Amino acid sequence: MTNDTRVRVALFDYGAGNLHSLAKGLEAGGAEVEITTDWDVALSREALVLPGVGSFGAAVRSLEGRIAEVRAALERGLPCLGICLGMQLFFPDSEEGEGSGIGLIGGRVRRIRAATVPQMGWNDVEPLAPADPLLAEFAGLTAYYANSFVCEPEDPATVIATSEVDEDRFAAAVRRGRSWGVQFHPEKSSAPGLALLRSFLRQVRTPTPEPAREEGR
Amino acid sequence: MLRPRVIACLDVKDGRVVKGTKFVDLRDVGDPVELAHRYEEEGADEIVFLDISASHEGRGTLLETVRRTAEVLFIPLTVGGGVRTEHDMNALLRAGADKVSVNSGAVRDPEVLTRGARLFGSQCVVASIDAARSAEGAHGPGWYHHTHGGRKRTELEAVRWARECAERGAGEILLTSMDRDGVRTGYDLELTRAVGEAVSVPVIASGGAGAAEHLRDGFVEGGADAVLLAGILHDGLTTVTALKEALAGWGIPVRPAPAAPATAEGGAP
Repeated sequence: MTNDTRVRVALFDYGAGNLHSLAKGLEAGGAEVEITTDWDVALSREALVLPGVGSFGAAVRSLEGRIAEVRAALERGLPCLGICLGMQLFFPDSEEGEGSGIGLIGGRVRRIRAATVPQMGWNDVEPLAPADPLLAEFAGLTAYYANSFVCEPEDPATVIATSEVDEDRFAAAVRRGRSWGVQFHPEKSSAPGLALLRSFLRQVRTPTPEPAREEGR
Repeated sequence: MLRPRVIACLDVKDGRVVKGTKFVDLRDVGDPVELAHRYEEEGADEIVFLDISASHEGRGTLLETVRRTAEVLFIPLTVGGGVRTEHDMNALLRAGADKVSVNSGAVRDPEVLTRGARLFGSQCVVASIDAARSAEGAHGPGWYHHTHGGRKRTELEAVRWARECAERGAGEILLTSMDRDGVRTGYDLELTRAVGEAVSVPVIASGGAGAAEHLRDGFVEGGADAVLLAGILHDGLTTVTALKEALAGWGIPVRPAPAAPATAEGGAP
């Protein structure tokens, strides 16, 4: 494959944690990955990936002063995949710590209601009908989670899949426009996780129309 | 539904997987990258590398091993051994570890757990506890925590120490019974249960696995969130696939082994 057929993806680096697996997973799916700490770079590639490593505090510090621009870029349609903490950054704030997220999706980020926290391990992801194109190839999916917090969007139509732990059913995946968030780690979810990353990259290049849902996005 | 996890553990020394009894009679059993990848294909839910290199050069080799592993492994990787500071943690995470386990380093400076959790999130911080039963100690008869690969006993009673580690920021407890380690008579269920009841973070039972029944007992009777295996896998006595099939047969809802192996060879999107 020549380089020009590869999807040029910016992988934002908050300065902490393992980015190797995600970069490799995206490359395996057909992306040319650029790891960057510079929002100018991050917002000027074909797609943006916000990884799920580090703490909320560290991530929001890297957003300081750039929130409006990042939000505007996503609202204009820059394809984005937020993973775990990266998904939580779509929301205005989090119970985990001080500071502001991007505010792309209204709602809150709250502590998971389970006997054992963090939720650490493989959990079933149940796509909601009609299936979002990101999840269309998965009848069901078991994916790896490592999180203490979950997202609670105001508009239930933004939720495209759910998971459950100790009877706390939470948003496993959300979508607004061309931004997708997944609470689990596709780069740590073996073959099905890599398939999901490929699915995202396909949506970057050849978007499938969003299925109609009860409420608008 | 959150699935009970089966974790494969590899002792790594100077970039090779070694096997021995109580850190002696070590023999080379293979390349950590290859073995980790094979266990992923067999359906292991996570991989743990415990570095037992003593030398400074060994530490550098470890980072390189972690880097190479992260290129081909698409399940979580925990790395432990010799981690003392948040800088050590950062180096391992940046090299490609998803979690870092801390033992002696946390005894010396318990605040390292707090700083690690603040910097990287508590889900990255694993407190490793090596516990052995003792008739006497600062807190009376009980299990006492050991450091330095089990060579140095502390006066930290294991259940209390586990609770303190979780309060300070550890997001998981890797609990090894030194009495059972290598013996293959099953996990110390009493210890596992006692720690599990004392903390609200996940507990990994380790030390003593010799058969699928032991894994089942670890989950059902020990209340473990995950079980760790080493020797029985490296000896080729069984496979993760076979163990998970047995567990599923008993109604333990483990994640089935994947139908198609994960691969880094991708097609066009």
